[in-house]
Amino acid sequence: MAVLELKQVKKTFGSGHKEIEAMKVTDFSADRGELIAIIGPSGSGKSTFLTIVGGLLTPTSGAVIINDKNLADLNEKERSKIRLKEIGFILQASNLIPFLTVANQLKLLDQVKKDNMTKKQLEELYEDLGIGDLRTKYPADLSGGERQRVAIAKALYSNPSIILADEPTASLDSDRAYEVMELLKNETKNKNTTTIVVTHDIRLVGYCDKVYKMTDGVLVQEK
Amino acid sequence: MFLALNEIKKNKLRFTLIIGVLMLVSYLVFFLSGLATGLENLNRESVDKWKATAIILTEESDKSMYQSSLAIEDVNEIDAEEIAVIGQINAVAGNGDSKTNVSIFGINKDEFIMPKVTEGEVFVDDNEVIASDALKEDGFKVGDELHLSSSGEVLKIVGFTDNARFNAAPVLYGDLATFHRVKFGEAAEANKESINGIVVRADELTAITKNDSLESIEIETFIRNLPGYTEQNLTLNFMIYFLFGISAVIVAIFLYVLTVQKISMFGVMKAQGISNSYLSRSVIAQTFILAAIGVAVGFVLTLITAAFLPSAVPVAFDLVTMLIYGLVLIVVAILGAVFSVLTIVRIDPLKAIGG
Ligand SMILES: Nc1ncnc2c1ncn2[C@@H]1O[C@H](COP(=O)(O)OP(=O)(O)O)[C@@H](O)[C@H]1O
Ligand SMILES: [Mg+2]
Repeated sequence: MAVLELKQVKKTFGSGHKEIEAMKVTDFSADRGELIAIIGPSGSGKSTFLTIVGGLLTPTSGAVIINDKNLADLNEKERSKIRLKEIGFILQASNLIPFLTVANQLKLLDQVKKDNMTKKQLEELYEDLGIGDLRTKYPADLSGGERQRVAIAKALYSNPSIILADEPTASLDSDRAYEVMELLKNETKNKNTTTIVVTHDIRLVGYCDKVYKMTDGVLVQEK
Repeated sequence: MFLALNEIKKNKLRFTLIIGVLMLVSYLVFFLSGLATGLENLNRESVDKWKATAIILTEESDKSMYQSSLAIEDVNEIDAEEIAVIGQINAVAGNGDSKTNVSIFGINKDEFIMPKVTEGEVFVDDNEVIASDALKEDGFKVGDELHLSSSGEVLKIVGFTDNARFNAAPVLYGDLATFHRVKFGEAAEANKESINGIVVRADELTAITKNDSLESIEIETFIRNLPGYTEQNLTLNFMIYFLFGISAVIVAIFLYVLTVQKISMFGVMKAQGISNSYLSRSVIAQTFILAAIGVAVGFVLTLITAAFLPSAVPVAFDLVTMLIYGLVLIVVAILGAVFSVLTIVRIDPLKAIGG
């Protein structure tokens, strides 16, 4: 059963002769336990795809269905609930909250939703990401790579059924990047989640079950 | 609360500044309200002490006791539970060392407006008076002989009483005969029936008198018509209400600037699915914490200042009024936070994450 489905989804920005077709009419579906890579050059429409899937961007036409719910039928409040419960975002700019320590970045989720990781799972996550010693630090005191790893921890902590990552390894060295992909793969397999990773790093596609290529708004499966 | 408290903890200086501003505003509000109450007391405490329902003055006096002139026998036309006659005149009294404005009340000792003596004795002989203890601070004491500006009579302080100021002047209580000698001099005997008003305690104001030339004036109305009283109150209250407005604007601006700085952060949280209502409650909670601390510190500062003020400064703190004003300040601050809430609700998470 598809966790995520895009039916005839299209996105255009602007209008008239300034119109940009960021995503041409696209069908897409993803199942549980799948780690999927979206590759493609800059400006090809990868982020547009990811934000539509995540319910942040409304498509010009077509239907986005997450766990049998058509996002078009929901209001912003309900979409926001789905993002909170079902989706873990790992964003390009590793957006952390400046006045919260690493530990509190995760604790914030305990304030707004239930069913997050257990203490034991959390310890393992810290271990896997190598950020256990950073718990009491603020984002400003972390390196770019450390911040990125905390952002990943934040996305995984809420036990989402769909993980959406936009260039999650961009600010990491090769070894760390491989470790992060390994982690996302384990997470996907062990918890039977669906993970979509947007990247332009071809070396990472080896970890993925499926690979799609985006070119000028056209999504084509490669593997 | 989680976000609110953690943010305050991380950015202590920033939030101390806001608390500081709120503290100063509340300090000013509390102090002005203290001054308003103090000035009110200066005008009315002797009247409040009567615990009377109304005062009867002549119709033509236009609610001014000084302008009203009655005869003692007018009492016969009054129907009330308790009745007391009063004669009143202003004077400047000096004991040789210092001089001060006083208000002389001529009364009957056995009627209900007779004050309790807190020090010394009750007046018995001619020209003996009980004085307001406010005079003690000017160096007056029991046994002092008082020379009056407008009269050849010499009064003698035989005792003191508390809460006895009328229209900003300390009161001297003496019997009617003493009052008549001060007011009429040689002609005292001829005017021995003359009084200024009749103070009554009654259940019903309308039924007190049927005499058309007399007017029963409710005590609160009487006080409001004391020279300068209403004007003074309006001025101070206007300043207080103005400060409420100012604090709302200050809080609104401060929080708005902070919120604008955090737009991308709020956007990220919204992208994550954290609801508008959680973020709004967080901002409101934060404002409440800041305002409550600011107001509490302002309150304590006010009390400390009050303890060190010279007694000549007419401040009196009414806890209930202060509590209400404190609450109003907090509510007003929270209203100021509404701007920030509206801003947060309008943030588009997509823009914030730079998708
Ligand atoms: N909000 C927007 N308004 C107008 N054009 C946009 C907007 N977002 C993206 N685009 C355009 O859509 C195309 C795809 O962008 P994007 O999805 O960000 O590509 P990628 O993530 O692959 O680099 C680009 O041409 C970009 O300029
Ligand atoms: Mg992109």
